[in-house]
Amino acid sequence: MFARIIFASVLLAVVPASAQWLKVTTPGTPRTADGKPNLSAPTPRGTDGKPILNGIWQMNGKYLQNIAADMKPGEVPYQPWAEQLFKARQDGALGKTDPAARCIPGMPKLDALPYPFKIIESPGMVMMLFEGFTTFRQIFTDGRELPKDPNPTWFGYSVGKWEGDDWVVNTIGIKESTWMDNAGRPHSDALHLIERFQRHDFGHLDILLTIDDPKAYTKPWTVKEDLRLIPDTELLEYVCVENEKDYGHLAGK
Amino acid sequence: MHSFRQITRILAAGALLTGAASAQWLNLKTPNIPRTADGKPNLTAPAPKLPDGKPDLSGVWDADRSYLVNLAKDLKPDAVQMQPWAAAIYKERAAGLHAHEEPDANCLPQGVPKIDAAPVPWKLIQMPNEVVILYEAFTQFRQIHMDGRKLPVDPNPIWLGYSVGHWDGDTLVVESNGFNGKAWLDQSGHPATEKLKVTEKFHRKDFGHMDLEITIDDPGAYTKPWTVKESPTLAADTELLEFVCAENEQDIKHMVTKK
Repeated sequence: MFARIIFASVLLAVVPASAQWLKVTTPGTPRTADGKPNLSAPTPRGTDGKPILNGIWQMNGKYLQNIAADMKPGEVPYQPWAEQLFKARQDGALGKTDPAARCIPGMPKLDALPYPFKIIESPGMVMMLFEGFTTFRQIFTDGRELPKDPNPTWFGYSVGKWEGDDWVVNTIGIKESTWMDNAGRPHSDALHLIERFQRHDFGHLDILLTIDDPKAYTKPWTVKEDLRLIPDTELLEYVCVENEKDYGHLAGK
Repeated sequence: MHSFRQITRILAAGALLTGAASAQWLNLKTPNIPRTADGKPNLTAPAPKLPDGKPDLSGVWDADRSYLVNLAKDLKPDAVQMQPWAAAIYKERAAGLHAHEEPDANCLPQGVPKIDAAPVPWKLIQMPNEVVILYEAFTQFRQIHMDGRKLPVDPNPIWLGYSVGHWDGDTLVVESNGFNGKAWLDQSGHPATEKLKVTEKFHRKDFGHMDLEITIDDPGAYTKPWTVKESPTLAADTELLEFVCAENEQDIKHMVTKK
């Protein structure tokens, strides 16, 4: 994971940026007098009055490492087995058992990768295109219900709806082997994620993420993840399994 | 290759046969599909149009997988004129001597146009400034920019390239460059180089049928461009599955390598 963060930084530093659409001018971006994007301009809204979430976003990196970074010790309401497993993972002894170490991304860690993702609203479905792993989520907005007893997947099944100015995404059906953060917070097959997207102004988005998993936690708990808009650029391609050298150095079996 | 060609089909078939299909949105009725009196999708109804008069290509499409093994299967042998090095490596790959090195056998991206002929469907979403193709294959995506930007000059080479599109009448013309030359164009091993330029022409003939004309222009590997025509079909009333190649991959160690 760290190796790839470094790799991405190197790539950004040495390659002629214009050649990769890294410096396109994103149309529709409000700008200050000097032409810079005005990230504190008001939230853009559609003809229906709802906030438009489209754009390239990047999450504050601390939540990848520790989804509970803003919580006080003792605030995460673990079930005993979950706390035990979390502690066992924390000392690094189980690094190999994180599916992400084998280039398998999963929710909710996918949203927290240190690479940007792009939200695109289309009729009936909102896409999240992730630079990390060059993969995508589909969040259906056509009124369908969440499936009952779905075949578990790495990203789960997601539907979204508006509640006032909040766009609320409900996700179930996530494989229980995904880690919720690099520190190793576990979950069960009962995990139900509620993501509440709140675009406060042009350049700032919060995701209030509620973890509702009665098998792993005694009550639902919520974290607030902050994201910033990355204007005037484009996603890069990221292929995890290409020249992967980290896994062999991780502990565990 | 095996992970892609065989396991996927088995997995997909297994999911279809044994899973509660409705639970996975695999049997969801796609709205706005013209239907015959018995409720079945009418795939020969006219192609849908958008308010601006352009065809709407959006939908889940079953790739024309008949071109997965040999992209040039319909062409006369002299239509694909390879550079000598390309002919030599193609001969070895077609004989199976390099199966172990095929990128997608190693869970690396299929590249373009091989991904268009994947054994699993892709979903095209057409928007005014951008067309996105979501590929069930390895759960990957391509962005095709329609905002008038030009293809990059001397881009950093990547697996799926850089793509821009424009309309030529009722045909969406997608031009791509910036490939890394590592992907095979098909399973028999037609090679490519970083000079590869791919032109894909998407033409929705009617509701359920697409013509996809693909031109391979790669002077590094071929002495002249060559063109093939695939025929994707609409997959109505279903949804993409999740396909994670690196999960429980068991094939690669059984595959041949010449090294």
